[in-house]
Amino acid sequence: MAIVERLVDLILWPPLFYYIIFPGLIFVMIFEIFLIWSERKIAGRVQMRYGPLEIAPRLAGAPQLLADLIRYALQEVIIPRTVDKLPFVIAPIAAFVIALMPLIVTPFSPTFLPVTTEGSILIAAALTTIPPLLLILAGWASNNKFSLVGSARESFLIATYEIIILLVIASMSFLYGTLDFLKAVEVQQALLWGILLNPIAAITYFVAVMMGTSRFPFEIAEAESEIVMGAFTEYSGIMFGLAMGISYARMFVYNIIFVLLFLGGWSPLGGIVTGNYILDSIILPGASVAIKAVLISLLMVFTRAVYGRYRIDHALKGGWGFWFIMALVSIGLSAAVVYLMEVF
Amino acid sequence: MSQQSQILTRRLDKDILEVFIGPQHPGSGHMRIILRVDGDIIVEAEPDIGFVHRTMEKLAEGREWVKNQPLFERMAILDAANCTLGYIMAIEKLLGIEPPPRAKYIRTILAELNRIASHLYGMGIFAILLGHSTMYMWFFGDREVFVELAERLTGQRLTHSFFWPGGVRRDLPSGFKDELEKGIKYFEKRLKEYEVMFLKNPVIRSRLEGVGYISRQKAAELGIVGPNIRASGIRHDVRIEEPYAAYPELDFEVPIYKEGDALARTLQRVDELRESLKILRQAVNRIPEGPILHERYLKMFTKVLKDVLETEKRVKLAPALFNLRPPKGEAYARVEAGRGEYFYYVVSDGQNKPYRVRVVSPSFRNSIVFKYVLPGHRVADLPAIYGSIDYFPPEADR
Repeated sequence: MAIVERLVDLILWPPLFYYIIFPGLIFVMIFEIFLIWSERKIAGRVQMRYGPLEIAPRLAGAPQLLADLIRYALQEVIIPRTVDKLPFVIAPIAAFVIALMPLIVTPFSPTFLPVTTEGSILIAAALTTIPPLLLILAGWASNNKFSLVGSARESFLIATYEIIILLVIASMSFLYGTLDFLKAVEVQQALLWGILLNPIAAITYFVAVMMGTSRFPFEIAEAESEIVMGAFTEYSGIMFGLAMGISYARMFVYNIIFVLLFLGGWSPLGGIVTGNYILDSIILPGASVAIKAVLISLLMVFTRAVYGRYRIDHALKGGWGFWFIMALVSIGLSAAVVYLMEVF
Repeated sequence: MSQQSQILTRRLDKDILEVFIGPQHPGSGHMRIILRVDGDIIVEAEPDIGFVHRTMEKLAEGREWVKNQPLFERMAILDAANCTLGYIMAIEKLLGIEPPPRAKYIRTILAELNRIASHLYGMGIFAILLGHSTMYMWFFGDREVFVELAERLTGQRLTHSFFWPGGVRRDLPSGFKDELEKGIKYFEKRLKEYEVMFLKNPVIRSRLEGVGYISRQKAAELGIVGPNIRASGIRHDVRIEEPYAAYPELDFEVPIYKEGDALARTLQRVDELRESLKILRQAVNRIPEGPILHERYLKMFTKVLKDVLETEKRVKLAPALFNLRPPKGEAYARVEAGRGEYFYYVVSDGQNKPYRVRVVSPSFRNSIVFKYVLPGHRVADLPAIYGSIDYFPPEADR
């Protein structure tokens, strides 16, 4: 029995639990399975069809992605002779891992967080900017014209949405007067949810994240009918599966940040006190953060059913000509809110 | 001179990237477009067609006259009635016969059902090229209504092989009028939903407006046909210029647009869908009673064949009908199909097989657009232009 206890101890050892189980890898995988399934189901409902059904019809085809992943895992990973092997192999793996890294500083409850730091917002924002660079690397290393075009598009888009996202995050930390997620959530609990304090920032962030994570109508860097699969055209097997997952993982992380900055973090369920430590400090607040993030993500993937795809110059024009200005306006609004709070 | 040095090579200008769109590309269809791009701007485009060439004109010389109908259907399988009607009409001209009025009306009904199905197919592909998966599914889903109606009429969903020199092979089935009316009502409701979801969708509009502009003069110079030339402001429609089947007796308009861009071509197709519904409604209401096959062949029928025609209202295929021997001569026929004008030129030497069949298909005429309209646009405009032209490679390659 000692071994079992050891194993349980090991699994519940906070760093391991945090990185591997919740909200780390396993939770993100479950999230992706659920999200992609519901995306396809919702789109299917709108489009007069069933969506995934064949794998386990009783569960409405829910394990479809699992089956796809098994297939990907058993498929040969073809590495073309002409690619630059090291960056080609590293890019999607590193992009996926780094895409999840902001989770090390995003708290899921006042007590459940692995790294306590004053600058958690800054670290999270900084880490979210790295994966797109690896996508560009993947496209460059692939030695394929479509990959190259995809990378070029991605690099154009990065310049647009990253600045907007960082400006909006800056405006919110300005409003809360802190660079720490914990304090930001505390301020929201004391005052109002961020989405009500600064709605412009929330909308701008939402659109910029859609742009950043290749959601319709900004699915430009992977536009299938134009450039096949963008930067990932040459990938196959599990590498392709991983590459597909990157944008969902990034969307999840961005939406966790969205929940913490705009939707009051663990607000409704986090306040309940039952006396059970695990329930109070992990499950209830964690669930409220995760559920909100899932709902926001569902809203983002639903746009697939409504919109087509923008042309890159339209997206850039919209990004720089409208949303960038909105991001600046949101800073002004934050300043106004701070001023009003000082006055009253 | 070695063998290798004869291969045409071409030096590209500095900073020009050559991109091959197709034939194995999710957005190309069975063709290849060779793009030379400077940054994101196309400087040169070469449509490279012929990947699905099946030597149809030559194959046609080895088969009996009517057996070519299933062959020519394979040009545009989703527009089978329209693309074979011209061939049948050309044979009729050689034979010097006219189908009875009822057969003409039935031909018109099937032709319009096919036109709607063909437009919906093209627009479905167009929608998915623009990344609009919902409209892709909707167009294809609603196309099913008309495919099923065609199945009710002919017994086949797509390759009907329904026409016969001198008539058609089946009479209208009982209850067809009500079913057609139901389908039309449903589709009229759906057209309003398309408008909200697709035609007035800001993202789609921004992709289409001003893209792929073909001026009136340019359209005439390039010799494009069908909805594409009508969207550039030229009222070119064989149904009006050289009326056939029951079209001269029906009251319909040929919509045109002056803008000539991808949006105009899209709206043009939607307007044509509306007109087709109008034609269908009129045709099914005005259809006269009478035989469905020319009396010359009815006379040749044995008792069994006559019984089948009386009771089941279908023409059982007699061997004599397969061995048609049109007199020596040549004839042509033009038909307005979903994508534009089909032109058939047939030559008979008095045998039971054609001496020569020449087909000019609308997609072939439209394929020239890629060369002259794409340059100057962005690479991302390629799907918008490709889809709005409604180019169908098997039809062009024959």
